Amino acid sequence: MKNNPPQPRPSARATLDQKNRPKNLNLLTISLPINALVSILHRATGCVLFLMLPVILLLLQYALASAQHFETVLAILHAPVIKLMLIGLAWAFFHHFFAGIRHLAMDVHWMRTLMKARYTSKVVLVLGVIATLLLAIKLWM
Amino acid sequence: MLIELLTKRYPGMRAWLMQRLTALLLAIYSVMALVRFLLLQPNGYEAWVDFFQPCWWRFASWLFWVSLSIHAWLGVRDVFKDYVPNAHVRSVLLKLLVVMLWLYWAWATWLLLV
Repeated sequence: MKNNPPQPRPSARATLDQKNRPKNLNLLTISLPINALVSILHRATGCVLFLMLPVILLLLQYALASAQHFETVLAILHAPVIKLMLIGLAWAFFHHFFAGIRHLAMDVHWMRTLMKARYTSKVVLVLGVIATLLLAIKLWM
Repeated sequence: MLIELLTKRYPGMRAWLMQRLTALLLAIYSVMALVRFLLLQPNGYEAWVDFFQPCWWRFASWLFWVSLSIHAWLGVRDVFKDYVPNAHVRSVLLKLLVVMLWLYWAWATWLLLV
């Protein structure tokens, strides 16, 4: 005589699994695909650029106000810390620029397969770094 | 069909298209600004003022800022929609965003007119 153990009902089982399922919010264990990396960086750099708008306007206003103000702005921009921040801002701009062009290209159905998207993600990251390096060299020359 | 999608009945499509169109304008202006900067190599205050003197360049810069305002509004709005789940907080933030962008726009317009 067979004595089957009672099977838990599916719904009960689901709640049990929901209680015991692993919480995997450790960001270090999640590997971001390169496409997702470029995408989230596009968003993050966009936010940074938006937050820097008043600073850019203020610098422009001072630089155009008078010769004295212009010299002050130059002196501020020549401080090493500010230079580093400027390079960070430049990278944000270049990344947003190149990643944006990539998104536009995909909107018109260029480079749309997964392999091509991965390849263009790498191109975008490299172009952003190269443009930033060129600017950094120009700033320190 | 395409025209139908761009009417008022589909505001999402309009926003989507505006984001792309303004992105194109921003990209074109950025490249133009870089080329102009490399050609003129403004050195010193006088040259910097001359850089912003031509009427067409001021107009282009103003158009750039209008595009930037629209582009930033759509972009930051999407960020708020994704990361601010509380509807009240979100609506306050969106209003704040609009006010700030209008202020920046007025500031930029004033800078380019003076």
